[in-house]
Amino acid sequence: MIKNIYYIISKELLIERRDASVFLSSLLYLIAISFVVFKIFSSLEGPVKMGLFWVIFLFTCINIVGGVFSYQSRKRKLNIYQLYDPVDLFLAKFAFSYLKLIIAGLVLILLQMLFSGSALVNAFLFGKTFLLCALGLSLILSLVSAIASYSDRQTGLVAILSLPLVIPILLLGMRLSLISEGFFQDPDSSQYLLILSGIDLLLLSLSIIFIPLIWKS
Amino acid sequence: MNQLLKIEWWKWMAILLMLYVLVAGFLIPLKPGIIEVFNSDARVAEPFTTEVRTYNTRLGQADDIRAWLWLPGDRLIMSKSVSVINDTYLKAEFDTLGNGIDVQSRNGLMASLMIDNSLEGHYFFRNAINIKSAEMAYMRPQVFYGLDEIKTRKQLAFPFQHILYETSRNTYFHVAIWMAMFALLILSCYYSIRYLISKKFEFDIKASSVTTVAIVFGIAGLLTGSMWAKYTWGAFWTNDIKLNMTAIALLVYLAYWILRSSVSDPDTRARLSSVFNLFAFAMLMVLVMVIPRLTDSLHPGNGGNPAFSSYDMDNTMRMVFYPAIVAYFLIGLWMAQLRSRLELISRD
Repeated sequence: MIKNIYYIISKELLIERRDASVFLSSLLYLIAISFVVFKIFSSLEGPVKMGLFWVIFLFTCINIVGGVFSYQSRKRKLNIYQLYDPVDLFLAKFAFSYLKLIIAGLVLILLQMLFSGSALVNAFLFGKTFLLCALGLSLILSLVSAIASYSDRQTGLVAILSLPLVIPILLLGMRLSLISEGFFQDPDSSQYLLILSGIDLLLLSLSIIFIPLIWKS
Repeated sequence: MNQLLKIEWWKWMAILLMLYVLVAGFLIPLKPGIIEVFNSDARVAEPFTTEVRTYNTRLGQADDIRAWLWLPGDRLIMSKSVSVINDTYLKAEFDTLGNGIDVQSRNGLMASLMIDNSLEGHYFFRNAINIKSAEMAYMRPQVFYGLDEIKTRKQLAFPFQHILYETSRNTYFHVAIWMAMFALLILSCYYSIRYLISKKFEFDIKASSVTTVAIVFGIAGLLTGSMWAKYTWGAFWTNDIKLNMTAIALLVYLAYWILRSSVSDPDTRARLSSVFNLFAFAMLMVLVMVIPRLTDSLHPGNGGNPAFSSYDMDNTMRMVFYPAIVAYFLIGLWMAQLRSRLELISRD
């Protein structure tokens, strides 16, 4: 299974390298949107900074992960359907998009540091929060993208379906990042991290259960 | 008539329960209560007089009205005289407050004001009066009475609650609708699971019609809750978590609806929407568990708000509240049944 996943990831990497413009355009989208937003909010201070981080990151996630299961043609979909086990394919796609999200998040953090002129207060806690939130987001978005890939109008549907579902993850991420910036004197950060990991685990198991059900047609 | 009798028994039950809830919920009166105590400052060694505005009382008809100061430790001070101005307004005079009222803190002692008579029983305003200690030494001892002096009267009435007053009747509509909505959502998850196991179309249609009814209930719950919030909290929309939870649940299920309408193949539609239904419900449960840790709520039972606990939600209220939940659930089932039949017919 792990060999399969590794194989699919390397295939994905090959496709990505051949057509790098897709991911690069997502990154460009990220840079452009953060430039626009940071110029509107001329000064980046307080909770607004973290709020903007999560909002921009969420929309970048939808942009990057929302399309992982959309294929150019129906034939290609059938081909892939015959080749791989759905769980393997899902895990590989999810892992690959997780990697992309981490890169995008790093770019966003660097941009934010550049524009606000201040470094992260507690980078370790923020890093842990970011990794867990990105994991949850990429799981939800991958599953929703798999669902939406069967519908007639995909792009809008991914956003509609996923936005209400990601709220608990974003709220926890926001609270934890505010703790990491020192806005709350909340000693409970480890409890929140635990809840976040629990949600990720739940999402992972739900996806593994549901993907084969979605897949067969 | 023949047609009417063919309705299944639970539909009759739904109609009867709903009628019962409407009649009992609107017609059973509130218990008498005190709305306002105009003078809240008392001092030991001085006489105390206050005017009191009450609600739902018949003070003009009662002839043995007494007012009481209810001190901590269940000690009562009886009034000297009570003069009734009209059915809901009276003036209570207390004798010079004597020694034995142990005012320890500098802020004074909080006492409740209670009124009783043999016609209506007793009612009180919690912590209405603040008793300060005497400025000079004062030696006359105070006479105290026990709680057994108070007249009580059993009556069929809902509890009187400050701020809420008559709007507490909304419990049978707003809260009950919301609970019925959650019951319906759980039911639709059950049908989705049944569909995924058996692949029978009827289960998918049942799941989707139950969800549609749940959306209608969610909107109704939001509207009734919004009106209640305007009355008690002063705004139609607050940052309250339960309010926003319902809004999120509505968003999720409206998205479910859009998902169904955007897939043309019925087989795929059934499969995808069942999976999304289960997934969304799981995430909603996560939300229910996560959010209360993050924020306080204005709703009863959260963040230091008084709950409808044993004190607030008495047996008279339960007598209407629980049937109300069942009534809404059954009516929701009925609506869902009609909808799913309609869809089954229009399919062929």
